[in-house]
Amino acid sequence: MISPGFGLIVFFIILPFLSAIILSFTNQRLISPNPTEYVGLANYKQLLSVGVLTLDPKRNSNGAVVRDKNGALKYPRLRNFTRNNPQYPHIKGMRELFSWNVGDNQRTYILARDVVFIKAVINTLLFVLIVAPGQGGLALCLALLINQKLRGINIYRAIYFMPVVVSIVVVSLLWRFIYDYESGLLNNLLSSLTFGAFESVNWIGDTDFALGSIIVMSIWQAVGFHMVIWLSGLQTIPPSLYEAARIEGASKWQTFRYVTWPGLRNTAVLVFVVITMQAFALFTQIDVMTNGGPLDSTQSIVFQAVERGYGKQDISGGSAISVLLFVMVLCISLLQRWLTQGRS
Amino acid sequence: MSMPNNPDNYGLRLVTRYVVLTVIAIIFAFPLVFMIMSSLKPDQQLLADTSSLKAFLPVGDISFQNYENAFSRVPVGLFVFNSMLVTSVTVVLSLFVCSLSGFSFAYLKWRGRDLLFSIILATFIIPFETIAIPMLLITSKLPWIGLDGFSIGWLNTYRVQIVPFIADGLTIFLFVQYFKDLPVELIEAARVEGTTWWQIYRLIVIPLSGPVLATAAILKFLVMYNQYLWPMIVVQQEEYRPVMVGLQYFFQTFTKGGIAWGEIMAYLSMITVPVLAFYLYIQRAFIASVAATGVKG
Amino acid sequence: MAEIKLRDVHKSFGKVEVIKGVNIEIKDGEFVVIVGPSGCGKSTLLRMIAGLEDITQGTLEIDGVCMNDRQPKDRGIAMVFQTYAIFPHMTVRENVAFGLTINKIDKATRDLKVDEAARILQMENLLDRRPSELSGGQRQRVAIGRAIVRNPKVFLFDEPLSNLDASLRMDMRMEIGKLHQSLNASMIYVTHDQVEAMTLADKIVVLNDGKVMQSGSPMELYKEPANMFVASFLGAPSMNFINVEVHDINEENVTVYNPTLSPIKVPHKGRDISKKSQAILGLRPQYLRLVEPSDGILNGKVILTERLGAETIVEILLKDGKRVIAAISEDQILSNGKEIGLQFNPKQVHLFSSEDSKFLSENRK
Ligand SMILES: Nc1ncnc2c1ncn2[C@@H]1O[C@H](COP(=O)(O)OP(=O)(O)OP(=O)(O)O)[C@@H](O)[C@H]1O
Ligand SMILES: [Mg+2]
Repeated sequence: MISPGFGLIVFFIILPFLSAIILSFTNQRLISPNPTEYVGLANYKQLLSVGVLTLDPKRNSNGAVVRDKNGALKYPRLRNFTRNNPQYPHIKGMRELFSWNVGDNQRTYILARDVVFIKAVINTLLFVLIVAPGQGGLALCLALLINQKLRGINIYRAIYFMPVVVSIVVVSLLWRFIYDYESGLLNNLLSSLTFGAFESVNWIGDTDFALGSIIVMSIWQAVGFHMVIWLSGLQTIPPSLYEAARIEGASKWQTFRYVTWPGLRNTAVLVFVVITMQAFALFTQIDVMTNGGPLDSTQSIVFQAVERGYGKQDISGGSAISVLLFVMVLCISLLQRWLTQGRS
Repeated sequence: MSMPNNPDNYGLRLVTRYVVLTVIAIIFAFPLVFMIMSSLKPDQQLLADTSSLKAFLPVGDISFQNYENAFSRVPVGLFVFNSMLVTSVTVVLSLFVCSLSGFSFAYLKWRGRDLLFSIILATFIIPFETIAIPMLLITSKLPWIGLDGFSIGWLNTYRVQIVPFIADGLTIFLFVQYFKDLPVELIEAARVEGTTWWQIYRLIVIPLSGPVLATAAILKFLVMYNQYLWPMIVVQQEEYRPVMVGLQYFFQTFTKGGIAWGEIMAYLSMITVPVLAFYLYIQRAFIASVAATGVKG
Repeated sequence: MAEIKLRDVHKSFGKVEVIKGVNIEIKDGEFVVIVGPSGCGKSTLLRMIAGLEDITQGTLEIDGVCMNDRQPKDRGIAMVFQTYAIFPHMTVRENVAFGLTINKIDKATRDLKVDEAARILQMENLLDRRPSELSGGQRQRVAIGRAIVRNPKVFLFDEPLSNLDASLRMDMRMEIGKLHQSLNASMIYVTHDQVEAMTLADKIVVLNDGKVMQSGSPMELYKEPANMFVASFLGAPSMNFINVEVHDINEENVTVYNPTLSPIKVPHKGRDISKKSQAILGLRPQYLRLVEPSDGILNGKVILTERLGAETIVEILLKDGKRVIAAISEDQILSNGKEIGLQFNPKQVHLFSSEDSKFLSENRK
């Protein structure tokens, strides 16, 4: 009885996944005149190589530091070290990821061979770290709000859940219009509501705002789903427990702390696992709204995997990214499991 | 605690609650209202309206012109048909296959069952997008025997949009969870009466599985109807394209400047409003079944 | 009708052995009750007979045929579950007829049998209802009805009455007794209610920790418990135990005493016993009589009385700090702290070895 189901899973999930692992050790391209070759860990090395370089500021012939016209220190060009410099073989071909000043005048550079990928990893982790608690917490608040006995509460619940039913592709395109710099709803509405005091923000075109805007939209779209899961957890808590707490004279917060929250443990695990998985799979929003820009500030791991594998036809590179993502998610879920088991 | 000892205070509290609930409702509803209203306005008015609350009202020059334009740009009828076909066939097959697998995991004892179940659970954490490319390679080489004989390669077909999505870990997991919560005595009583496993599945378990069938169907429907990346890469022929891929036709306007927002909103409304309307019609049962299949305790 | 034989049956769940070598023989048409404390393996044993659990080791025979590897449906059994296990999505009629439908019996025969069962169980008027519209007792009837229509060789019951309230339980208990008489089938009945065991059984099997402690007719077990476990398990309130030392032995009697108990002569039969050895005296509360302190074999003071109407339960604190329960077959009012003596017929006591808690003495019949 299991065979059709399992057969399909093997064929359409496990087999593709295994081939991704194998492909990640080759130099396969989608269409290529050259035969495929085994290249070992080269793809992973390419993706993961990072280096650190600390530079002293440029000095003139007197030994004094050189400053540009704004008074900032000038440093030697990185290219001198990363290109064909036999003294620095380990950072050959790397580019700057970010840098900061240390001590007096020195500057430390974090370098990566594949800057875009590392940025994608950082953005994805940031996305997960904000969305998981943010969306989970907000969903719980909504669930508590909606779990009261009020006339018409079902209508509110239905409205909160509505965006879940709408495709993320549709949502992304719609919000692209809402976020639009010149003709977008958000800017125009805010500025007319504040009588012009609000200065338009380039929500998805500005490196400072782009990822945040996508986070807000993603939470807006999915929070209703998790609200319903919390709600189902809330409704399994027997009313007699609340009555007991009331007789004991517990405050609202104490009731939540000692009755509600302990009753929601399993639900909490489910909600956070699901959100984390979904957050790691961040793709469609990026694909429809920003294509990773501006300046790679919204690159995500899955977007990179697809862009390389399909867009640039670099199947092996894309596969290596997929495998790395799998390893990361696996580690996190094992950690999560260990943490939740350790406590019970 | 919340006894209405002071009627004024109680009334005020009630009003506050409704105000809070309504403000949140507005946050969830405004983009969708905006989408529908915009679809009815010519581009110029549409852009002008964004700077006032008119954006959410059907005022000014209201017409279905955008819809007509969208129809002439995209074969909407064909795409809706394709999406409905692919979605409904997948949902039906998925319910059958996954419930059967879930049944086997929940009730039958066989060697390697727990290992296999762990493997299926582990597939949860593989985002589809990351295996899309290897899957493209595999499906492009698969054989098929159909009415028109033997062929190689599944690209540009309905089946390439259906078969890979029939079985998935989440759906199987939902069924296993639900089946394990059914009273085991019912199954044992049936076994003592001399049923085959197939009869237990058909006569006992499935009739008792309304909520989980509904939830699995809903979740599968949403996944399938909203398919985007996969059909984009495996279907090059218009004949087999689903609705989400239709959006591509509008992306062309992005690069040419002068984005036809009105038309886009019309298309978005066309593919979204029917689903939303259906959802609102059955929302009570819908949310109840999702909640019932959630977690216990 | 069937004979059932369990030979050296074992059951392990993983590494945990739950049934540790059980031998039971059940004669044709016998009503056997398996009793024992919670978790002792009663349900597991029953489920092995039903074929719902594999037998780890040993054999199960029904009518001389080894059933170890047979499917439940091929064993000629019917089972009634504690939680009724009636199918919520079917009417009562469909539930009762379920086994027949599955086995493709034609509709006319089916209806005939269902009506017959409904008549026996007095539920003709319930046949078209859904289980959710039934009371607990009615549901249990449906479950029994489903068992009856198949004409099984053996009926298996797993605590069928434990979800019912006290009065309903008594009614159903009598009905099951009548059912046994009218069907005359072999029945195996699991319970931890000793009243059910005593009233229904032709034979009781006392199980503890996966082993048979004793089996026999209810009165045999009550009057000649093989060990302290059986002695304390059957009879309510539980048997009193008093540590004693053996003072003297002769052909017929053992004389035992302890500091609070003047020497008494207990009938002796069977096992070897030596002077000065320790033993345990078992006294059923019903065999104790209250007397003046001067006439008592045991003396103490009343610390608790429970008046049940026809019976009075008295708890007495002995001089050495031990407590003894007496059940007096009339209503009596006793004030707490009252000094009191206890009398009993030495021929009605039981003596157990303090080494292995086995039976040492035997009652005169
Ligand atoms: N499927 C199982 N897996 C592991 N252990 C089990 C399983 N079923 C029962 N056990 C264990 O076997 C022992 C006997 O269980 P069983 O259900 O037979 O007890 P019981 O005598 O029927 O008790 P009760 O009167 O409470 O119903 C228990 O310790 C129980 O924990
Ligand atoms: Mg039991």
